[in-house]
Amino acid sequence: MAAKEKVVSREFPEYIRDPNPDVGLDESIKDLKPEQIEKTIMAVLGAHTARIRAVEETCIHCALCSEACQWYLSSDKDPTFAPVAKMRMTVWEMLKRKGKVDAEFIKQTARIVFTECNICHRCSMYCPYGLDVTFIIGLVRRVCYVLGVVPQRMMDQDHSHATTLNQVWYTQNDWVDTMQWQEEEVGAEFKDLRIPIDKEGAEVLWFPLGGEPKTNTYHIERTAKIMMAAGIDWTVAGRDVWDTSNMPMFLRDFTTMNRIVRGMYDNAARLRVKKMVLTE
Amino acid sequence: MFDFIKDPSLYTLVRGPLVWIAFLVFFAASIYKIRRMYIMARNEKVVLPSIRGEAAWKSILHWIVPFGSRNWRMRWPVTITTFVFHIGLVFTPIFLLSHNILWYESWGISWWSLPENIADIMTLLVIVTSVIFLLRRIFAPDVRFVTSSDDFLILAISFFPFLTGFLSYHEWLLPGKAMIILHMLFGEAMLIAIPFTRLAHMFYFFMTRAFMGSQTAGWGGKDW
Repeated sequence: MAAKEKVVSREFPEYIRDPNPDVGLDESIKDLKPEQIEKTIMAVLGAHTARIRAVEETCIHCALCSEACQWYLSSDKDPTFAPVAKMRMTVWEMLKRKGKVDAEFIKQTARIVFTECNICHRCSMYCPYGLDVTFIIGLVRRVCYVLGVVPQRMMDQDHSHATTLNQVWYTQNDWVDTMQWQEEEVGAEFKDLRIPIDKEGAEVLWFPLGGEPKTNTYHIERTAKIMMAAGIDWTVAGRDVWDTSNMPMFLRDFTTMNRIVRGMYDNAARLRVKKMVLTE
Repeated sequence: MFDFIKDPSLYTLVRGPLVWIAFLVFFAASIYKIRRMYIMARNEKVVLPSIRGEAAWKSILHWIVPFGSRNWRMRWPVTITTFVFHIGLVFTPIFLLSHNILWYESWGISWWSLPENIADIMTLLVIVTSVIFLLRRIFAPDVRFVTSSDDFLILAISFFPFLTGFLSYHEWLLPGKAMIILHMLFGEAMLIAIPFTRLAHMFYFFMTRAFMGSQTAGWGGKDW
């Protein structure tokens, strides 16, 4: 079998990867215009804010962050996986060229920030200056998101959140129906088990992740059993937002991020609960 | 200053007006840079309210002390090099006997000074650790990948004052005064360069550490 073809970066010959076809990256860069890219980059990264400028003006390129990164450690210490290298290949290059980069560069950037960084903040804890590398990578994700260059699955989840305020394209009916179905299902085992929907004044308001009512419905049933065994006065929200999986956060889609968190607190305030319990 | 007016020469220039310019630029620009960063942080609204005094100081202390943090312990060769380099870099110029004599001659002030042989060793160590940093830049793959020309420039800016100082103390290579002039020029260049290059990490260190220390404390963790 012939050796697999590799993707080699134009700007950084050391950046060699296997091909990773993704409609979200390959197709979406086709309509990008240079002025659109430049405007977006300068709007997001060119702002004179302390958290960006402090990193830019302090980072001494010592690469002491590299061994913090699980991508670096699990890729035979390939220097292109080091956190500082990811900044160099994306944000520094964008700022150096004052945003004048082409669509192909944006695609490569999106691949680096979305598929080779988990936004885990470990590098900041290994940096001698405590620089917030993750914040910067997050902003680069925002550049890509605003330009629409995002891996398809992530973009789909973001659209789902923007439309239905949950990750799995559930309507409110689907959600309430799933709760009632689960209550019915578990009735065979426990006569008194209830999944209270919108119970005002309950002690605990439980929020699942979107995947629980969609694909792992037994989680709902088990949570109900645990709550019953523990004797907790609990409830679930009958209205949006009931899903805590804030996927837009990973794209830095600030508007939807905000709607989700606000919606959760609104529900808690409406039901006058004492605690919010979230699935993690 | 007056020596230069009475007897204008290269030596009196670097000994008089240029010293004034270098110190004024260094202090003024440093204060400006710190103030600018502070104002930007204040305008960002989320930065200053997140600062927690205790966590910030703990974070600074753990990272300013050798082996005080996990990464300093993990990367001990770099840690030793870094601390030897920085201690020499900061304390040798301040407590050097010859510098003390210059303060005394100019303004009549002087303070505690290092024994000459210790200062000599510290200078030599700065030179050696600079070379180690240079080699690390060239040979460590992860460092080499992110190295650009300005990294070599700032290393040179901090290297040459010490090299020329060492050579002028021992009166090697160039006749006494020529090397001293060179040393003073490099020293003044370094002072001026600090606020305008990434050598500004000299004061930004405390600000960025305070922020990250507070942030991690907010998450219920620590960053050392």
